[in-house]
Amino acid sequence: MKFFVAAFFTIAAAGILAHAQGNYEIQVYGADTIPPRSTMVELHSNFTADGERLTIGGVEPTYHAEHETIEITQGITAWSEVGFYVFTSETTGYGVQWVGDHIRPRVRVPETWRWPVGVSLSTEVGYQRAVFSPDTWTWEIRPIVDKQTGRWYFAVNPALERTWHGPDVAQGIGFSPAAKIGYDFTKKISGGLEYYADYGSIANIASLHYQQQQFFPAVDLNVSPDWEINFGVGIGPTAATDHWIVKGIIGRRFSWPKKK
Amino acid sequence: MTAQVCPGRIASRRAFLRGASFAAAGALVPGSHGLAKTLSVGTTRQQGAPLTRSAPVPDYRIEIAEIEWEISPKKKIRTSAYGGQIPGRLLRLTEGKPVTIEIVNRLDHPEIVHWHGQWIPVDADGSMEEGSPMIPAGGVARVSFTPRPSGMHWYHTHAMARRGMQHGLYTGQFGVLMVDAPTDPGRYDREQFVVLNDWEPYNSPSDDGSMMVQYVYSSINGRQLGHDVPIQVRPGEQVLFQILNASATEVHWLALPGHQFQVLALDGFPVATAAKVDTVRLGPAERVTALVSMDTPGVWILGEARTSYLKAGMGTVVEYAGRSEKPKAAEGTSLKWDYRAFGDPSPVIRKPDATIPLVFTSRFRGHGAPDQWLVNGKSFPETDPVMLKEGLRHRLVFDNRSTDDHPVHLHRHNFELVSVRGTPMSGVHKDVVIVEANSRVEADLLATNPGNTLFHCHQQDHMDAGFMALFRYT
Repeated sequence: MKFFVAAFFTIAAAGILAHAQGNYEIQVYGADTIPPRSTMVELHSNFTADGERLTIGGVEPTYHAEHETIEITQGITAWSEVGFYVFTSETTGYGVQWVGDHIRPRVRVPETWRWPVGVSLSTEVGYQRAVFSPDTWTWEIRPIVDKQTGRWYFAVNPALERTWHGPDVAQGIGFSPAAKIGYDFTKKISGGLEYYADYGSIANIASLHYQQQQFFPAVDLNVSPDWEINFGVGIGPTAATDHWIVKGIIGRRFSWPKKK
Repeated sequence: MTAQVCPGRIASRRAFLRGASFAAAGALVPGSHGLAKTLSVGTTRQQGAPLTRSAPVPDYRIEIAEIEWEISPKKKIRTSAYGGQIPGRLLRLTEGKPVTIEIVNRLDHPEIVHWHGQWIPVDADGSMEEGSPMIPAGGVARVSFTPRPSGMHWYHTHAMARRGMQHGLYTGQFGVLMVDAPTDPGRYDREQFVVLNDWEPYNSPSDDGSMMVQYVYSSINGRQLGHDVPIQVRPGEQVLFQILNASATEVHWLALPGHQFQVLALDGFPVATAAKVDTVRLGPAERVTALVSMDTPGVWILGEARTSYLKAGMGTVVEYAGRSEKPKAAEGTSLKWDYRAFGDPSPVIRKPDATIPLVFTSRFRGHGAPDQWLVNGKSFPETDPVMLKEGLRHRLVFDNRSTDDHPVHLHRHNFELVSVRGTPMSGVHKDVVIVEANSRVEADLLATNPGNTLFHCHQQDHMDAGFMALFRYT
C-alpha cells in the first residue's frame, strides 16, 4: 500500500498523533517486474466510505473521498522497471484535484538466479500538494519478497519511508509494512487477505491507537496475462485509520515484442 | 508393423563414415570388464536375472556418472552424462545385427536407458512403466536387442525428474543412436549430427497462468554458440544434417541463413515428399534428417531462429572453406512448420480396424504448481490401459484440449499421421508428434510388437505430472 501521504503530525500542544492518511494506491507488491518492451497501465480507484470528516491542519478530509491514481509502468530489462504515478482526489465540495506525482524505479532478482523466493526492491520519490499532505516531498524504499507455492501465495513489503519536506522531517524513518496471503480458488479467481500498516517512526513506534492498521479481504481475477484486476474492502480498526475503504485496481499490459 | 522404407542413398558406406561428425568410440567402447551386480536384460533373458556365463559379450559399454561439463569457458554444468561427455558418443548400429550393450550406473540412484525409436521387446526398451528393470545405484546391466528400424534415433534416460529438476532429461543423459540399414549408402558428402539441449531449468509463471519450465542456457552438441567447433564445409557440398532435440521440455526452431533444409526423414523414417523449408521445428525427442546444399559461401550460424534462445547459446558456426568473416545469424525467419508438407501429394487413407480416442486435459493445481495432466480423464498410473489387438490397424485420435502443445511419443512402435487439424494426409511416419494446443491429430498404429507399450508426452514436466498411459495387447 502506498501510504504516500502517511504523515504523522502533531496536533496542538496535546502532543497527540493523528494521521492524515491518503489512500491513493493500495497494493501489496509482488516481486515480478514488467517485461521489457511492455507497458502496464493501471487505474487505482479507492473510495473512503468512512474516514476523517474534518479538515485537520489544513489537510482535506478523506470521508467520501474518491481517489483515482493512474500508474504507468514500463519494463526496462528482464529485471527492472520504472513506474510513474498521477494522483487525483475528488471530494464533495472540492471537485477533482491533482494531488501529486511519484516516480518508482524497481529492480528484482532475475528468475535465472533461481532463488527460492521472489525478491525485488523499489524506491519511490514524489511530490504531493500540501493541501492533501503536509509532507510534500517523500521517499520510500520497499523491499519485496514473495512466494507462490501450489495454490498459496505470500508476499511481504516491509517499506521504509522518509519525509524530505514537511512536518515529519524530524520523525526520521517511518515503518509501513504490507503483506498479503492469497489462495487460488481456480485458475482465474484468487482470494486473500491484504494487510497494510504504518507504525510511525521506526525509532519511536506509535502506540496502537495511533498506528494505521488496515485489513483488506481482496479478490484477484486472473482473466488474462494482459489484465490485472483486484478489488477489496478495507477495514481500519484504529483511530488513526480510515475505517472503511473500497478499492479496485484494473490494469492492462501492452507489449511490443520484437519481430522474429 | 508400419512399413519402414530406406532412403535411396548412393554414396559409399566408407565415404559416409569418413564424413560423419561423431566417432563411435569413447563412452561406447567395445568389450566389457568384470563388474559386480550385473543385470542382464534383453530379448532372450528374464528381467533382472543375474548375469550368467552365457550372457552375451557386450559390444558396447555406457557409463553413467556425474560430470562437470563446460558448455563455455565461463560456464560449467554439473550434471550426469554418458561416458563423461555431452551428448554421449554416437552409437552406430546396423539394422538387423544383434547388439549387446553394458550399462554401468555410477550414480547414487537407480537409472534406466531407453532406446528411443527402436522396435524392441519390453525388457530391453528401458521404461520402468512398461516393466523394464531399473539399473540400481552402482549396478550394471546388459541390454541385448536387434536394432530396427534404421534411421536416426537416440538413447536417453527414462527416469523421473523428481523435485529440483536435476534428474531425468534435465541431465546430460542422452546420445544419438544411429541405425544404418545393411545397404545404406548415402547420397551426400558429409554427415553432421546436431543435438539441441537446454540447461539450468527453473519454473516460471506462463501467460496462461500455469507454471512452465524455462532455461538459463542452451547448447548445440553440448556447447554454447561461440564456444563450438565450427562445421567446415566446401561450396557445392551436400551436407546431411541429423538433428535431434534432446531438450527436456522445449520446442526448437533451427535455421541456417542463406540455405534451405530439404527434409528427407522425420524421426528416422523417410518422408513421402522431401520438401524444402527455411526452418525446421523439433519438439522434444523429435528428429529431422535434412539435406543442405552448400551453395551460399560465407560464415553462418546454424542456430535457433528465435533470438532469446540464440543468445542463450543455441547455435553453431558453419564455415565455408577460405571464409573468415563474422558469423551471421538468421534474421526475420518465419516460424512455419506443417507435417502435411512432407506427406503424399495424394493421401491414401486406409480404414482402421479400431479407433482409440486419447483426450489430453490438465487440472489446475495453483499458480505455484505444475498442472496435473490427464489422458482420457486420468493421470498415470491411474490411467486406464489402452488395449491393442495384434495385427490390427488402430487409429489413435490425439485430442488436445489444453492450451499447451504436446510432443506425444509411443514406445516400441511408430505411427503414420493420417490427419492434422482435420486435413487428411499420409506418408509421414513418426514416433513423436506435436499435437498443438486445442487441436487434433490422428495417426494409424499397426500393432505388431506385443507387450506393454508406454505412451506419453515427451515433455519431462508433463510426464512427471501424469501424462502417460500404458498400451497393452489383448
